Amino acid sequence: MTIPLAHYLIFSGILFSIGLAGVLIRRNILVVFMCLEMMLSAANISLVAFSRAQGTEGIPVYDAQVLSLFIVAIAAAEVSIGLALIVAMFRARRTVDSSALNTLKD
Amino acid sequence: MFESAICQIIFYVFAALAALCAIGVVAFRNPVASAMNMALSFGFTAAILFGMGAQFMGIVQLIVYAGAILVLFLFIVMMLDVKAEEHSGLMPMVVGVVVASVFAGIVTHVALHLPGAGDNACPVLTACENIDALAVTDEPKAETPAAKPTGFGGSLPQLNSTAANLAANPGMSPEAAAAATGYPDVKLLGKTLFTQYNIAFVILSFALLSGTVGAVALARKIRKD
Amino acid sequence: MIQNLPWLFLVLPLLVAAIDWVVFHKCPKTAATLSILSALGTFALCVAYLSGWQTGTPDVYTWMPMASGTLSLHLGLTMDALAMRMMLVVTGIGLLVHIFSLGYMKGDSSNLSRYFAGLSIFMFSMSTIVLADNLAMTFIGWEMVGFSSYLLIGHWFHKASAADAAKKAFITNRVGDFGFLLGILLTLGVFGTLTFADMGTAVAGVTPCLLTVTVICLFCGAIGKSAQFPLHVWLPDAMEGPTPVSALIHAATMVAAGVYMMVRLQISMGTGAFTETACMVIATVGAITAVMAAIIATQQDDIKRVLAYSTLSQLGYMVMAVGLLAGEAAMFHLYTHAWFKALLFLGAGAVIVCCHHEQDIWKMGGLARRMPVTVLCFLMGTFALIAVPGFSGFFSKEAILDAAIVNHPAFFWIGAGVAAITTFYMTRLCLVAFFGSARAHGAEEAREASPTMLLPLLLLAVMAIISGYGFVADYLVPAEGFSAPGFHIGFTFYVSLGALVLGLLAAIAVYGFGKRSSDPLGNNFIATALRKRLYIDALYDKVLVGGLQQCGAHIIEFIDSALIRGLLVQGLAWLVGRVGILLSWIQCGSLRAYSCVAGLGILIIIVLIAL
Repeated sequence: MTIPLAHYLIFSGILFSIGLAGVLIRRNILVVFMCLEMMLSAANISLVAFSRAQGTEGIPVYDAQVLSLFIVAIAAAEVSIGLALIVAMFRARRTVDSSALNTLKD
Repeated sequence: MFESAICQIIFYVFAALAALCAIGVVAFRNPVASAMNMALSFGFTAAILFGMGAQFMGIVQLIVYAGAILVLFLFIVMMLDVKAEEHSGLMPMVVGVVVASVFAGIVTHVALHLPGAGDNACPVLTACENIDALAVTDEPKAETPAAKPTGFGGSLPQLNSTAANLAANPGMSPEAAAAATGYPDVKLLGKTLFTQYNIAFVILSFALLSGTVGAVALARKIRKD
Repeated sequence: MIQNLPWLFLVLPLLVAAIDWVVFHKCPKTAATLSILSALGTFALCVAYLSGWQTGTPDVYTWMPMASGTLSLHLGLTMDALAMRMMLVVTGIGLLVHIFSLGYMKGDSSNLSRYFAGLSIFMFSMSTIVLADNLAMTFIGWEMVGFSSYLLIGHWFHKASAADAAKKAFITNRVGDFGFLLGILLTLGVFGTLTFADMGTAVAGVTPCLLTVTVICLFCGAIGKSAQFPLHVWLPDAMEGPTPVSALIHAATMVAAGVYMMVRLQISMGTGAFTETACMVIATVGAITAVMAAIIATQQDDIKRVLAYSTLSQLGYMVMAVGLLAGEAAMFHLYTHAWFKALLFLGAGAVIVCCHHEQDIWKMGGLARRMPVTVLCFLMGTFALIAVPGFSGFFSKEAILDAAIVNHPAFFWIGAGVAAITTFYMTRLCLVAFFGSARAHGAEEAREASPTMLLPLLLLAVMAIISGYGFVADYLVPAEGFSAPGFHIGFTFYVSLGALVLGLLAAIAVYGFGKRSSDPLGNNFIATALRKRLYIDALYDKVLVGGLQQCGAHIIEFIDSALIRGLLVQGLAWLVGRVGILLSWIQCGSLRAYSCVAGLGILIIIVLIAL
């Protein structure tokens, strides 16, 4: 007996929720960004688990894993862009506190 | 059986550790500590991926997330000289925790109530059927219980390295496949990636390229004149 | 083609009115000629049809087709004796009034094209009422008549009193028309048809209660148009218009439209449709009007007002006759009254013109010597009105009184009393205005009227005398198979003769032969009350008009300040402001708050999809 799919999904959901909580709670935009990455990797886990669950004859469905590979690649690109944005923002405002980013209000 | 029991214990331990480290990422006020916790969390996640037999994905998790991305984060944290952030009130904390726990509760509920979650078998169902079964419809579900899709939430099926080797190496004889040790995960993934998803892969590389160019364009110093 | 010739009754005057107004706006002579020609044409057509020149029903046009064929509105003409003979009265008097107007309006500075266009449009509307074969078309004519009456009363609109009188007439009529419209809708609902010809069969099986309500609602229209109590107030004021208009519209024809319409209904629905309650209401209203108007007339000094109140009183007679189910008698009286009242008004008009537009009878006097022909004609009309035996009014009044004594003796005695009062005030008018010596400069210079005025007067005087006899009445009275009652000496005759003599003697005793220069009865509170028209107008003015205005002002004030300003403008602004303040915390600009909302949204979506 191996681990049921549900447990993978629950683990992935918990990891995602923690990331979500971090995004909501933290004010440091860098940490918020880290939490975003965590949410993405949590999604990866469920994708890989699904690929296993869908597999026939003991071979996983690799489409799901390809998708998660794409997610990783996009996450990498996103991090590079996001961090560049944060750097640019820090240059402009000398802060990484997201609660200071309230110019939308005015 | 012993092996699989070890596997289970390892999964639960690593899962708990990964979740703990993830909580650490949120809880520590120092961004450097957050980053280190995230590295650990990614490591444990990678271990779980290995346990699932997705070795390539585990490696990618380690290299890309724990390696590249995390290092980037650390660079930025140090470059910007970010201080520990001050407390941000009770209200956002409560809202965040509530939203996150409700979300986790929903996911858990859904996962535990997947069709066939009680069965041990995880029979093969087409994705379409599963989506139909999961979809919320206003009409009452099919009349007979037999029509209900069974088993999506059960145990993951065992990996079959013989079949995998056969699928990975077309010319291989069944005896050789049966004798082969190791599971050809990378080979199979690569096969899917470079045949079925070749064009998407190429487009993805363009996305990465544009990401690089964009990052350079954003981060370069804007001259005052 | 030729059977559609009767449509000319409607088309000709309407066309002429339009041409007068649009084309000959600046040439009053041409306009007048055209109008007179159109009146002459319709009159000739009418005579031709009455003499049996052409029979056959004109086409019926569908005006507003509706889903089911039964309910669609038609335009059709009724060509029975009632309608055609009524047309003769309308076009005959109309023609004479057109001719008289030439003399009367000579030298008038107002726009004569407008005047004659108004007369023509009145002829069109009145013909529509008379010839209509369904209530919807009657209603069109009804409103058009009100409109043309408004135009003509207000012809001298620069005079404030004329403009006010026009408004008063129009608005008062609207009150009655509201009831009339209700009645028409009720008729449609109860009978399922508006066509007169179909009503007789449709009436069977309708409950008496519904019938009563329907008839009374329709009678409301007659109350307004025929100036019955309590909507009588507009008619005396309508005398502000030119006198020929008063003669044509407000004495001879238009005010008779109510009576005509009620008789038309009585004929088409059958007398059975007029339940006892409805008849009682109608007769009572008529009786009240007759008595009240006669009493008020005794203390009026304006010659036209006296005649106006006498018209009211006579209309009350007719309505009473309708209520007593004596439609034939009502039409007989309508017909004789039309001739002699037109004569009286035109005579009064001639007198007024000759006295330099002096209308107060106490400023006349001695006119009998200065304008004998006019006065003689006027006297003929008076004799007809006060029912001197042998004159036309005598026969028709007898007919009504006969009907009353059979049906309801109380109304007979009311009628007799009104006859005595009528004699009294008409004798007073004649004695004061025509005998004795001139009491004012205008009367001293009075000369005989011009031929264009005298011709209609003479013709009408002849009609006033002879129209009651069988050899005229049998052919002209607007009623199917009418035969004039003629002389018959009986109880009714004695009573009405007694009333006549009583009224005559009383008037002569009080006023002598024009020797007095002021009214000997005019110095007590009753006379004052009568001069003030029993304060009914004042009451309406104060209570209804004032009250409505107050009420309207309050409502408008309320709507304006509370609803529009308070609720709509300020309230909306306040609401938007509040909501804005309330919602402004959403726009806090904080990244985390936004992500919180996004997270909540995701949660909701997941809950919706997954659970």
